[in-house]
Amino acid sequence: MEETLFLKREEVKDINNYDFPALKKALKMKQEDVIVEVKRSTLKGRGGAGFPTGLKWELAFKEAADKKYLICNGDEGEPGTFKDRYLLEESPLKVLEGILIAAYAIGADEGYIYIRGEYAKPIRVFSRVIEEAREKGILGENIFGSGFNFDLYLVKGAGAYVCGDETSLINSIEGKRGRSRIKPPYPVEKGLFDKPTVVNNVETLASAAEIINQGADRYLSLGTEKSRGTKLVCLSGDIRNPGIYELEFGQATLREIIDDFGGGLKNGSGLKFVVPGGISTSILLEDELDIPYTYEDLDAAGSSLGSGAVIVVGEDHDLIDLMLNVSRFFMDETCGTCFPCREGNRQIYHMLKWKKNGFTAKERQLIKDIGKTIHLAARCGLGQTSLNFISSVLDKFEDELMVRGDINVEG
Amino acid sequence: MNYANFLERMHNIQDTYGYIPECEIDKVAREFNIPRSKVYGTIRFYSMFYTEPTGKYIIRVCDSLSCHINESKEIVEVIKDYLGIDNGETTEDRKFTLEIVECLGHCGEGPVMMVNDHIYTHVSKTMAIEILDKCV
Repeated sequence: MEETLFLKREEVKDINNYDFPALKKALKMKQEDVIVEVKRSTLKGRGGAGFPTGLKWELAFKEAADKKYLICNGDEGEPGTFKDRYLLEESPLKVLEGILIAAYAIGADEGYIYIRGEYAKPIRVFSRVIEEAREKGILGENIFGSGFNFDLYLVKGAGAYVCGDETSLINSIEGKRGRSRIKPPYPVEKGLFDKPTVVNNVETLASAAEIINQGADRYLSLGTEKSRGTKLVCLSGDIRNPGIYELEFGQATLREIIDDFGGGLKNGSGLKFVVPGGISTSILLEDELDIPYTYEDLDAAGSSLGSGAVIVVGEDHDLIDLMLNVSRFFMDETCGTCFPCREGNRQIYHMLKWKKNGFTAKERQLIKDIGKTIHLAARCGLGQTSLNFISSVLDKFEDELMVRGDINVEG
Repeated sequence: MNYANFLERMHNIQDTYGYIPECEIDKVAREFNIPRSKVYGTIRFYSMFYTEPTGKYIIRVCDSLSCHINESKEIVEVIKDYLGIDNGETTEDRKFTLEIVECLGHCGEGPVMMVNDHIYTHVSKTMAIEILDKCV
């Protein structure tokens, strides 16, 4: 099986060899028409939440304000995810093009690209791109003679997973602690410095540029009815050929992704489970992998496509050790605003840390209750999804993890 | 004052001193017209900012799930042994600070370690020692 190259079709790093075809096309269109085209493509946000991109742009476009902002979210932190780094390093000009198109569509004249502090190379690459673009007049005033003005600034993150949430990211750019904001108001109404703001993921913006370039019709011809286009899948874990693969939705099943693209498990190990969308998503077992890789099929299987991080886990690992690893991540990375997320994740970490034997029915119930409370009470996606992994491991490996005789007892 | 410059300002101070000293916190508070406590609170929120001196080389080893599966723990142990420090500590000669960190975005190439701005992938135990030796 071959990759479907839509985003990866043409990778140009030298600004002198790139003439920004999508941007030139967009600047000749009316703003509304650019939005209609992206809406028609049904592109969904690729950061993990999957909000329709065209609708976000339309909402921001309709806001009346003296100033609007466009933010490119390059704070990729979900373990297992490295597609945005890939795009920033290999296709920075396409990302820039997407930023400019989005800014033009919503009527923003200023924007930020927020790249996580650990991404030293992408920061270097993109800083140079911004400089060169300014010199060539691709950023600045009257871009390509269209009358459209836009300037872009790079903000380096400083090590906080939660800043990937759009409202936390806005706070971070404003020089504050990266804590989430209460919604509504949504950023499209009141975002950065209280102005209407669109925050889009790196892959989303690169996709939008290609949609304008190749046309929404081409995009609509790819994928399934509910998941159009392509997705960059990040394969990692106990796999022979890890890496970034661009796949048309529905082109392959999860098993085919692992076997055909990933070359199967390394060291001839058997498969324990798969994390299909980063560690904020529920795991899938060996017998659940024959489903097409689409938003709808992963949802139906009780998990989520998330950020596109497929982590393959072989059978030699200790489940409690893996749960502890994920738990520590959320304990460290919760921003601490919502009490259930801050304390819940800490309690679960301590419960797992001393766990040598199996779980009792009471403990399982406690973990479930904490998970439900966090899900209902946390105001950002990080908190809401923080216990998906642990709960699903506990559910699906009941036989292995529960104290004998306690399996079917409701606590 | 443009608050969007705040993080950049902190990065510059951090790069200059290796940490963010109190005198700079005072200066920034005046400049941005915000209380010192707020500046301090913001700094402490971000794991890449330090309010205590760090080593010349900050060694970051990823231990998120994909690297963890690829035995990142072994790399951490080797480095701890070699430098004689624990996670979050700095060697007495202020050469090295060791940190176990979350995902560095090279999940397909684990285990991964970062020395200041430089990333090393597919790190083996011997490679980890070689990298540290090069710094000495």
